[in-house]
Amino acid sequence: MKNGDNHRPRRAVPAWKIWANPIVRRYARSRLRPASFGVALLLTVMVAGFLFFVSREGSARVMGEEVNMARMPLIPLLILQGLILFGLGTGQAAAGITTEADEGVIDYQRLAPMTPLAKVMGYLFGLPIREWLLFTATLPFTIWSVWMGEVPLGSFFQLYSVFVMAAILYHLTGLLAGSVMKNRRWAFLASTGMVFLLYTVIPQAAKFGLVYLKYVTIYPVFKDVYPDLLARPLGDAAVILQSVIPQARFFGLNLPQVVFTLISQAVLILAMVTMLWRRWRKADCHLLGKVGATGLFAWLQVMLLGNALPLIATGDLFPSRELSRRFGRLVEPGAGEWSPELGEAFVMIALYGVVTLIFLWWLIFLITPQDQTQVRGWRRARKLGSPSLPQLSDAATAFPWALAMAGMGAVGWFVFSNALLQSHWYPQFSLNSLTPLAMVLILLGGGMGLQALLECYGRKITGLMVILAGILPLMLAVIMGVTSDSLSVPAIWMGVICPLSWPFYGAAVFLSPDELPRHVARAMPLAFWFMQGVTILIVLWLLGQLRESRRKISEASKEG
Amino acid sequence: MSEAAIEIKDLRVDYGDFVAVHDISLSIPYGQVFGLVGPNGAGKTSTFKVLTTLMEPTYGEVTVAGFDIFESADEARRVMAYMPDLAPVPSDLKLWEFLDFHADTHRLGGGKERLARVDECLAIVNLSEKREAWCKELSRGQTQRLILAKTLLHRPKVLILDEPASGLDPLSRREMRLALQALANEGATVLVSSHILSELAEMCSSLCVMNQGRLLASGTAEEVKRQLGNAERRFKARTFGDPESLASWLEKRSDISALKREGAVVNFQFTGDDDGQENLLADLVNAGLKLRAFEEEGSSFEDILVSVAEGNRVE
Repeated sequence: MKNGDNHRPRRAVPAWKIWANPIVRRYARSRLRPASFGVALLLTVMVAGFLFFVSREGSARVMGEEVNMARMPLIPLLILQGLILFGLGTGQAAAGITTEADEGVIDYQRLAPMTPLAKVMGYLFGLPIREWLLFTATLPFTIWSVWMGEVPLGSFFQLYSVFVMAAILYHLTGLLAGSVMKNRRWAFLASTGMVFLLYTVIPQAAKFGLVYLKYVTIYPVFKDVYPDLLARPLGDAAVILQSVIPQARFFGLNLPQVVFTLISQAVLILAMVTMLWRRWRKADCHLLGKVGATGLFAWLQVMLLGNALPLIATGDLFPSRELSRRFGRLVEPGAGEWSPELGEAFVMIALYGVVTLIFLWWLIFLITPQDQTQVRGWRRARKLGSPSLPQLSDAATAFPWALAMAGMGAVGWFVFSNALLQSHWYPQFSLNSLTPLAMVLILLGGGMGLQALLECYGRKITGLMVILAGILPLMLAVIMGVTSDSLSVPAIWMGVICPLSWPFYGAAVFLSPDELPRHVARAMPLAFWFMQGVTILIVLWLLGQLRESRRKISEASKEG
Repeated sequence: MSEAAIEIKDLRVDYGDFVAVHDISLSIPYGQVFGLVGPNGAGKTSTFKVLTTLMEPTYGEVTVAGFDIFESADEARRVMAYMPDLAPVPSDLKLWEFLDFHADTHRLGGGKERLARVDECLAIVNLSEKREAWCKELSRGQTQRLILAKTLLHRPKVLILDEPASGLDPLSRREMRLALQALANEGATVLVSSHILSELAEMCSSLCVMNQGRLLASGTAEEVKRQLGNAERRFKARTFGDPESLASWLEKRSDISALKREGAVVNFQFTGDDDGQENLLADLVNAGLKLRAFEEEGSSFEDILVSVAEGNRVE
């Protein structure tokens, strides 16, 4: 073409050239308009300045020394920076991408001759660009405090490298939420709610054996460096407390918290970038491929085990250990003879099972094909003369992969439970011989049931079943349980219908704890084994249905 | 490089059990304004979405400007442009910013060079005076023109326009038609869809008709009319003499029907092919009927489309 030859387009912008990324520039233009950005900037500087001066000058009478005074604003500023980047930035990433989809302009970006990775980078750094700049505007206050407070630069860089990495991780989560959700308000709320949960609920779960989960937050590194951020008298006290906080341990390795946190977050960032990259490459493909999902599940199991197992022997895995260390010496002098309760093992084993089940369901949900995908896959395969679907394609059944993940989950759960109860803390306990069977049944029943249901009947029926067989029985069981002691046995039978409760029932079966009332201790194993029997029958029936459904889809694809 | 600007082979698109595009094959040469016409739900938009890499088909092979759109999607995107039906615009950008952003995604030079091209494209679609306006403030027709400007930015070799004239006033339609024809004259290929056949017939060098996911006919406007029009071809004739004698001569023939006189004009239907038509004319002359005019009246495009929409031409 005549004109086309005069203006030959250049090569696409590389993904790493963030500043030259057209999507970043587009959002820099629209989100940094002087009127709106100016107001936000003014407000941020005012709040940061207020925190800086109030905490600094307010402590002047108590702290006296300049070094101590200078350190006082550091934590309030860190909280403000967290609100800006973690809260607003994540919400903006989610709402921004939903808005693009809602307005319909996202298709233009799909057609833009940029690589999928460059598009992911463009949205990742473009949508929350205002929040990044507002964060930068608070940094002079922090840097001044660090300088005047003689905070070791190593501590500062450790904390802020993890802070920035966590912000990127949360923004990616926001982008993913925005890519999946249709309503921008829901996307904003869901993603900011997720960050809120990360800093409230997840740390509690981390105290009950799921140590790995805390590494998706900045807590571990913050705990490492916070004595340096406090005024010296407080910091010295914190150092004493900190000396008993365990370092990051991963199987036989002893790693600095910052290194382990960065590695953990980097892997999750890689997984999320992969999901977004796949979506930009092909709008209707699964967020993760079958190998990727199975690999991610294996990684999560390895991380959960790798962080938890080394802490069993020292007792640092048990929640009561830290409490004892912090307060035991103050409250009772004999706290040195601490030993864990069996109830802690019960909760930790059950929680491990619940989290494994949730990860399993999530990944099965991601890789199970809808019937439309299967029909299209079959037609394509037939056109290409292939007698079957390619095993790794989105259209292929997720059955073997779900089976593999359920198997891995059962192994991981058994290794964790066995290590916990074989430890020197519980010399009088061991897992009973039915434990491996129960674990396999829970994960296979829960995992394969969901997989077959999704693949045969689709998402709507599955959603209905989750409400009827998952949420409703659990709610009824709780109501019955709190209404009257006499209803506790029916409540146990009602609660066992919900698959999410199975790990708790299972843990009770494995341990037979004496603490449980007799009638409850009798009812739980009965209800559990009965439900597992019913589940086996349901899953077998569902697998038959799955086979039939696949045959029908394969036949239907021959027509037309 | 392929000789065709767009080459489609055995393209199929399914939505569950519904077949939106049913194994169509099509080849469009360079430098053409090619029309794709069909009623709503014919499969035009699905075909366009596959062509523009927005959707993966069930199967099929597609090349655009020589690039396999599945293997070399980025290269294909670089040389094509797409204007969707009811094209959306962002609410937070001004006209020039919107165009500059897309010029940037195509890496059309540095800031000044890009802005010059932006202004050039705004001028082509007569939106220069709206340069500083917000995209969301434009009327429907202005929005269509803005999106047309966006598609022209990187001087694409292939333009794919889905119902581009919808919402445009007659003047703007004419301008758009002239702009598209100018692009074709420069060597670009324009694939344009509409459910208004007459509109396409005016601007397209050739076109094809789709219905229920299938291609029913393709060729020039006249060829398409011929392929889809009634088997009985309608004619009107006038003589210098008495129209009654013409009418009674025609009435005797078995291949003539629906004879009707309107003043000096005699209308009739003829069930014959092109050779038959030639013979008929010769017979009329030989019969000494002193013909003054003899012309064929085709089915109107709208009639054809209505019958297509009713599905009575689908096999």
